[in-house]
Amino acid sequence: MGASVHSNQYSVKVFETTVYDESKFIEFFDANYTLFKDYLILIQGELSEKIKEYLIQKRLKYLHNIDLPKGRSRKALEKELKVKEVEVAVSQQIAEAELSKLTNKLQNNLTVLDEMIRSGRELNIDGDLLLLNRVNSGATITTSGNLIITKVVDGSIRCHGNFMMLTASPKANIVFQNVEVDNDLLEDRLNRVELKNGEIIITPVLKKEINWAS
Amino acid sequence: MGIVIAVISGKGGVGKTTATANLGLGIAMNDKKCVVVDFDIGQRNLDMILGLENRVVYDMVQVMEGEANLKQALIKSKVNENLHFLAASQTKDKSVLDSKKVQKLVSDLKEQFDFVILDAPAGIESGYEHTIEFADAAIVVVNPEVSSIRDADRAIGILDSKSHKVKNGEDVAKYLIINRIVADMVESGEMLKSDDILEILNIKLLGKIPEDKGVIDASNQGKPVILDKKSIAGQAYMRISGRLCGQKVDMKNIEVSDSSLFKKIAGIFR
Repeated sequence: MGASVHSNQYSVKVFETTVYDESKFIEFFDANYTLFKDYLILIQGELSEKIKEYLIQKRLKYLHNIDLPKGRSRKALEKELKVKEVEVAVSQQIAEAELSKLTNKLQNNLTVLDEMIRSGRELNIDGDLLLLNRVNSGATITTSGNLIITKVVDGSIRCHGNFMMLTASPKANIVFQNVEVDNDLLEDRLNRVELKNGEIIITPVLKKEINWAS
Repeated sequence: MGIVIAVISGKGGVGKTTATANLGLGIAMNDKKCVVVDFDIGQRNLDMILGLENRVVYDMVQVMEGEANLKQALIKSKVNENLHFLAASQTKDKSVLDSKKVQKLVSDLKEQFDFVILDAPAGIESGYEHTIEFADAAIVVVNPEVSSIRDADRAIGILDSKSHKVKNGEDVAKYLIINRIVADMVESGEMLKSDDILEILNIKLLGKIPEDKGVIDASNQGKPVILDKKSIAGQAYMRISGRLCGQKVDMKNIEVSDSSLFKKIAGIFR
């Protein structure tokens, strides 16, 4: 048989004090008896027989010279909260600044093209590229940013951005973040290609087939 | 004022010169004045295919250099008086070409003929660039195979960036001829379908020409295959020539073999 523990938890109001003047102490407790009868009295320092008798007579529960676990003072708590708040605000500011740098870059450097990229053409894009036409065999596209191509790619792609979106392109040579992408993994719809924890993740993004720019 | 059409392909051996000869003759047979010019300096052969080999006295380089005038250098075909021919130089190389001289020659020819057809050299070097530089339109000849398509794609790309018309903000019209189609092979999937080719190249289809053994013999004899009324390739060239001269000629589906056509008909009566 295992030992079972019956337990209850209470929050108790504690009045902690030190006795300097016995008659003043008794006078104070008499005056506030209705308040203190529900308190646990904690006497720090000396406790005379006279006071002991008084507390027992008044049926007040008391403890003597005990270090109870205490909550922090309101002031200390407030101070700590303030420090935390400032830290959060600063980190948020840094994050926002980084983000705005990034979004500014995306918006400033987005190139949108609707022209066929024919064989022999080398397209170097600083920033993001949205291409609404095909890339033929023998053409090369390099982007420093993200790349979205809505039609078939038969040529080469070098993307150094955070993600690419491509349709099925069995003849393409695709290099994403210096890693060659296996074309067999691209399904016959738009696929999102991204790098997560050093691994290339390919996710088909559109359930329904859609007809782009036709 | 006539129209200048460059016949281009990128890859060699796809039938560019044969197409030039046949279309030139086909246009002439449609009662239009036509001149075909061999721009393949140093490796001319349009003269042989037209059967005019032994009649070349002056070539176009001599005309451009002022050693002969155009009238002296133009050779009139015996087969059709509407067809004229200007030979390339066999001894010089393409480095003799120069933009200003080419422009003058082309505009002189434009004044005299309804159609000026320029047979471009294979490849994409300076000779090719000079051929397309002052062309109003281009006919792209391809075979239904990937290497030909890719080279043609490259040639079109250069046309779109180097042509005089494009530099002036205009468009150069581009038309596609798919040459040497074997219906059986298209049906079995061994040969590219014309729809796939058109999707890759994205230019207007001018016509399809079936594989025809008679073409080689016709070239060897210097009698373009368009003169042979029974030849399927000759008939295809005739249809294309009609389209170039503004006639409405329906596109014939030559990617279905006779045997499968027979099967389809047989299926109806089953």
